[in-house]
Amino acid sequence: MKAKKELLVVENLTKKYQLTKDLEITALNDVSFKIYKGDYLSITGKSGSGKSTLMHLIGLLDTPTSGTVKLNGIDITNLNNKELAYTRNKEIGFVFQSFNLLKRTTALENVILPLKYSSTPQKEWKEKALEMLKIVGLEDRVNNKSNELSGGQKQRVAIARALINDPSIILADEPTGNLDSKTGKEIEALFEKLNKQGKTIVLVTHDKELAKIASRQIKLKDGEIQK
Amino acid sequence: MMHITETIKTSLDAIFVNKVRSALTMLGVIIGVLSVILLISIGHGIQNYVKDQFEALGSNLVFVMPGKTPLSGGRDPAEAFSRNKLEGKHVKLIKTQASDFVDQISGGLQVGETIKYKTKSYYASVLGLDASGLNIQNYKYSQGRGFTEREVKSKAKVVILGPKVAEELFPNTNPIGLNVKVGTNTYKIIGIAESKGRNYDEAILIPLTSALDSFGLKNYSYIILSVKNDDEINLAVKQVKRALLRDLKADEFSVMTQNEVLDSIQSILQMLTLALGAIAAISLLVGGIGIMNIMLVSVTERTREIGLRKALGATPTNITIQFLIESLVLSTTGGIIGIILGWLASLSLRGFLRTEVPWWSVLLAFSFSVFVGAIFGTYPAVKAGKKDPIESLRYE
Repeated sequence: MKAKKELLVVENLTKKYQLTKDLEITALNDVSFKIYKGDYLSITGKSGSGKSTLMHLIGLLDTPTSGTVKLNGIDITNLNNKELAYTRNKEIGFVFQSFNLLKRTTALENVILPLKYSSTPQKEWKEKALEMLKIVGLEDRVNNKSNELSGGQKQRVAIARALINDPSIILADEPTGNLDSKTGKEIEALFEKLNKQGKTIVLVTHDKELAKIASRQIKLKDGEIQK
Repeated sequence: MMHITETIKTSLDAIFVNKVRSALTMLGVIIGVLSVILLISIGHGIQNYVKDQFEALGSNLVFVMPGKTPLSGGRDPAEAFSRNKLEGKHVKLIKTQASDFVDQISGGLQVGETIKYKTKSYYASVLGLDASGLNIQNYKYSQGRGFTEREVKSKAKVVILGPKVAEELFPNTNPIGLNVKVGTNTYKIIGIAESKGRNYDEAILIPLTSALDSFGLKNYSYIILSVKNDDEINLAVKQVKRALLRDLKADEFSVMTQNEVLDSIQSILQMLTLALGAIAAISLLVGGIGIMNIMLVSVTERTREIGLRKALGATPTNITIQFLIESLVLSTTGGIIGIILGWLASLSLRGFLRTEVPWWSVLLAFSFSVFVGAIFGTYPAVKAGKKDPIESLRYE
């Protein structure tokens, strides 16, 4: 078996928040782990365990107090806002609990959105978006507006949107949290399918059962990884 | 890297989603631009009206007025009038001393008096002129004739009515040959002047000599003369001054060309027009504050959208530009609608007032509305761009 490629390397990551002048909270304390290409990793922990902070750091929405995050060998802790935005656009696909689709906008337009901030030529946008919608099984809902879609359909649109720039990591934050269990299972199946096709998926959840579908688990407690 | 056309499309979408709100926001700018266009068009119309009135007088005219007039830098017109020394001999003096330049010359008297015919009366301004004065001022007659030099010499009691006066006193009859009372004196109507602007239409013309007699006056209100050659008008002014200085002191009269008089009045009116425009511009400013207000609300309301766009790769600049374009679209669309409405409003006033929309006022109003959108849109847009993506995504 050939060595797996390191995608994301987190080393001695610490994040502290200065709430007031005298009150400092350590949200993450000296966390180190690696994500390999093709991984299906879950990050679990209770509310306040630091999993959101970790997700923001992996998602390049935040920078650490100390330690490094290397994505494809590049240390992203020193990037400025603009470089972070570009890297996010190219390397990270977000899936949120509350879908976060643009209101009164078609499924197609929602999926195209990340392309608008990329260097992809405009003439390729539609074709690419249609392809993604097909992958998530929504080819017959292309022109429905977001408010005309069910919860499960909304999340599929969001996943199509996350896939469109072919990112290194799909970062899903409680993706089934707003769905009924049947629809939740469908989304789980979709993630599994994507992972089998070689996508790297990081699933952030407080749901221990859901976490088990991932091939690797990281459990966080009080800002530290539990062995 | 977001393409500008896409950004504009995104902004337009956001504007259309909130149609009513966008329309109300634009209304502020629309009213501002409308009033700028309308008030400037009124001011400009008055300016051109005055200009045309002057041109109706005839060209190449030089005026001699008593004292230092306010237009030529004097202080008190009443004082100038009470110390008025202009009279018949000065007309003769100019005639003899400046004959090389002067074509025609006439003294002039202007007083107000009630004109009566039977039971009807009309308060008109009474203009006393020499026969040459009628020529200098290009009077034409719709009926009858002007008075002659002989009638002026003999102090004949004859009168030419302005068209408005004739219409008021003689709505149904032909007034030629009838008598009217000018004050206490009886004058015979010999002509009706053609219309040449309100001031003239509401006046009557009588021989200067008869006017001085009837009103018991000795001094002229002014002397008016036409020069032989357009190019020599400044020489003519010098020569007229030199002639008058033989009898009068320098501060007892002023000599001005028609253009100088026109320029002075025009500069006053220009100032008035700009003042009107500036007042209107204040309402445009208020419209701009409206835009800022709505944009701030919009930014707060769309915090999650901003967070999402940032998570998907939008840079702070992308977001700022998106919101800035939104306020620019609002303000320029409002500006364009305001210009069209202002122009229509100015057209609809044509029945009562002379209005003209000068091209520069359109340009001014438009660039001002763009400016307002940029200035008042910048703060909310920058605020949007600076929003923290994590906090924004959590925003409920």
